[in-house]
Amino acid sequence: MNAKIISEDRLGALVADLVASGTRVTAPARAADGKVDYRPITRIEEAVLESELPRRSLKEFFLPPTEPLFSWNRDASGVRIDQVPTSFPPHVVLGARPCDAAAVDILDRVMGWDYRDELWFGRREATTIASVACRGVDGSCFCSATGRGPESTRGSDLFMTPTDGGFRVEVLTPKGEAFVTAHAGRFGDDPGPAAAGASQADAEGPRISLPTVQAWLERNFDHPLWEEIALRCHGCGACASVCPTCHCFDIVDEAEGVTAGTRRRNWDTCQVSRFTVHASGHNPRPDQGARFRQRLTHKFHIYPTRFGEVLCTGCGRCSRACPGGMDLPEVLQAITRLAAGPGQATGGEA
Amino acid sequence: MRELQELARKLLADGTVKVVIGWEEGPHGVRPAFVVDPDRADRLVFDERCTHNLASYLSPRRPHLTRLGKPAVVVKGCDARAVAGLIRESQLKREEIVVIGVRCGGVLADPSTAEPLSAETVADRCAGCQAREPHLADHLVGEAHPEPPGKGGRDARIGELEAMTAQERWGFWQAELARCVRCNACREVCPMCFCERCVADKTQPQWIESSPHARGNLAWHVARALHQAGRCVDCGECERACPADIPLGLLNRKMARVVEQRFGYRAGDDPAAPAPIGVFKLDDAQEFIL
Amino acid sequence: MATPAEKITGFEPRITAFVCNWCTYTGADLAGTSRLQMSPNVRIIRLPCTGRIDPLFILKAFERGADGVIVSGCHPADCHYTSGNYHARRRFAVLKELLEFVGVESGRVTFSWVSASEGQKWREVVNGATERVRELGPFDAYRALAGSRP
Repeated sequence: MNAKIISEDRLGALVADLVASGTRVTAPARAADGKVDYRPITRIEEAVLESELPRRSLKEFFLPPTEPLFSWNRDASGVRIDQVPTSFPPHVVLGARPCDAAAVDILDRVMGWDYRDELWFGRREATTIASVACRGVDGSCFCSATGRGPESTRGSDLFMTPTDGGFRVEVLTPKGEAFVTAHAGRFGDDPGPAAAGASQADAEGPRISLPTVQAWLERNFDHPLWEEIALRCHGCGACASVCPTCHCFDIVDEAEGVTAGTRRRNWDTCQVSRFTVHASGHNPRPDQGARFRQRLTHKFHIYPTRFGEVLCTGCGRCSRACPGGMDLPEVLQAITRLAAGPGQATGGEA
Repeated sequence: MRELQELARKLLADGTVKVVIGWEEGPHGVRPAFVVDPDRADRLVFDERCTHNLASYLSPRRPHLTRLGKPAVVVKGCDARAVAGLIRESQLKREEIVVIGVRCGGVLADPSTAEPLSAETVADRCAGCQAREPHLADHLVGEAHPEPPGKGGRDARIGELEAMTAQERWGFWQAELARCVRCNACREVCPMCFCERCVADKTQPQWIESSPHARGNLAWHVARALHQAGRCVDCGECERACPADIPLGLLNRKMARVVEQRFGYRAGDDPAAPAPIGVFKLDDAQEFIL
Repeated sequence: MATPAEKITGFEPRITAFVCNWCTYTGADLAGTSRLQMSPNVRIIRLPCTGRIDPLFILKAFERGADGVIVSGCHPADCHYTSGNYHARRRFAVLKELLEFVGVESGRVTFSWVSASEGQKWREVVNGATERVRELGPFDAYRALAGSRP
């Protein structure tokens, strides 16, 4: 691992180089309504690198909310299937948050598990991720409790830490190395010492023990907690849409007329009632307690059992987005306390 | 809010209700509460952070709530309209719930903000509110508040949109709806979206494409605005829940104005007043029909 | 989209008409048997009553390539099912306002009451709608909604 330095001016020139060469540059930037999203930029001035957490995560750049899989056309000679490309033009994410970069890497596990998702990995291969160290956002963050942290380099090809007038850039992967080499003129050597810890915001994270939670979830499928904890959940799916690691999708065939159409995959969420409805009408997850249990179990038991790590990076968006006031760290703390033994307070009446 | 807590405690202790649905302090501001134990009634609060419309929780398609038993629900004036709507449309019987009305002086647009109530932080619908004391209530608690601050910007914004050309409006809505990922939060939090099977989920045939592309999104939002016309109670939950910050209130409020101007109807807290799209008058205006 | 001032050379509007069986469909048939000449741009979809018309039909017509839509039924008090058109009248009023609010030009959707004996009126409705839509141009904006996000 080596480190470089880049001044703000040089960073601006780098962005201009990328755009001129046809590379898409995505960075946190203000949308028309003033909120920050990960958006395409053409100039560094548009980027908002050191404040608000973007409203959505990076996952939509690798798993779009809707994505064609193939299309068909039928004529007198038969049916023609048109595949979609699985290689993509070069793309750079500048200013990813550590929680978002880590999430993409965590999702690689399931996307490459029983078969290799060509569209996901096609986009992954085309993309270089340069993260920026985080100063913490607010009390909803809990990245440290999930094994990440405001300076986590997981999932990043380059990791940038603010310094006076620029950034110290750690080069972490071969892709990062290739990027720095290709744009050598913009980077300087001699980055100086690593900056001191960037953020105290998450230092006092909630007291959550992930292994404890995982073990508790294994044994407590029918616990009364599930009756209480999801009372205020609307099953709205806002949490899943902003979550960097939720990745369930639905596949639909969309006819356009009688002879042509497209098969697509669209974001879906286990939190809506129809997610597990069978053709018979039976629904094995018939109420919100069951559905919320599923979300928690998938993230904190099933995924770590299969892939060795939780499906959550503690970004806190779910808690911020929830209209019903659900709070994931609160639930995890409640479970940690429950697991500690009888006599401990439960999560209480929801 | 001693009066509210005392009332809740009594209703639970004497078995009148099995659960009181109200608001409580959460880790990040106020949030909905479901109190079943009379000794925990002191969790209930009411202040300007109580933005949430608790009537959403009364829908019969929430078995994890209906299992608890007969509820009492704490409602502001705007929320009471939703309760009236549910009764009007046969989703609830009046005697199946206890309504605790609370006097209100306006609520924050964002219940997790730490800011005080002001013209900048107040929810848009509060300006000029005529329903600060709900009529549909078995009990009425709380002290009278002064008028909510602020003038409300939605009607002005709707006026701006109406003054644009059709192309400009199209561009505005396409830009806003582009952020929609069809999470359906707007539908799930809405107290009046209670259909067991939403038309958007019907696939044989599929009238509303489920994909979050521009075509599907337009169909969904137009259909929802139409199905809410005359029924939407302007509680603002859809807009608050939307994780993409789409100004859904503009669509619903525009429809409410159309319904009021053309049919003289405004969603109120009287369950007996019939909803406007299910009824008609022989002399309804038809100037737009050749 | 074409501005109202531009005429698209050679553009023939595609118009879908949702009409009720008892009045407008019969009226249109009368126009035909009377050999009335009118714009050939309209394809008729017959329904039992305007009360059956779901606003989603109009959206679907635009999705599938219509440049304009006509909705037509019995005059008030003449509905074969007594009150279907009264219900429809309220629904259409709301639909029309909503479509305009989201940016669909008002000339693209035409509502009319055409009775079984009003073949002439049907011709006027058809010709009028065709010319309004021709003026507005193809509804490219709606068709451009097709396709994927980047």
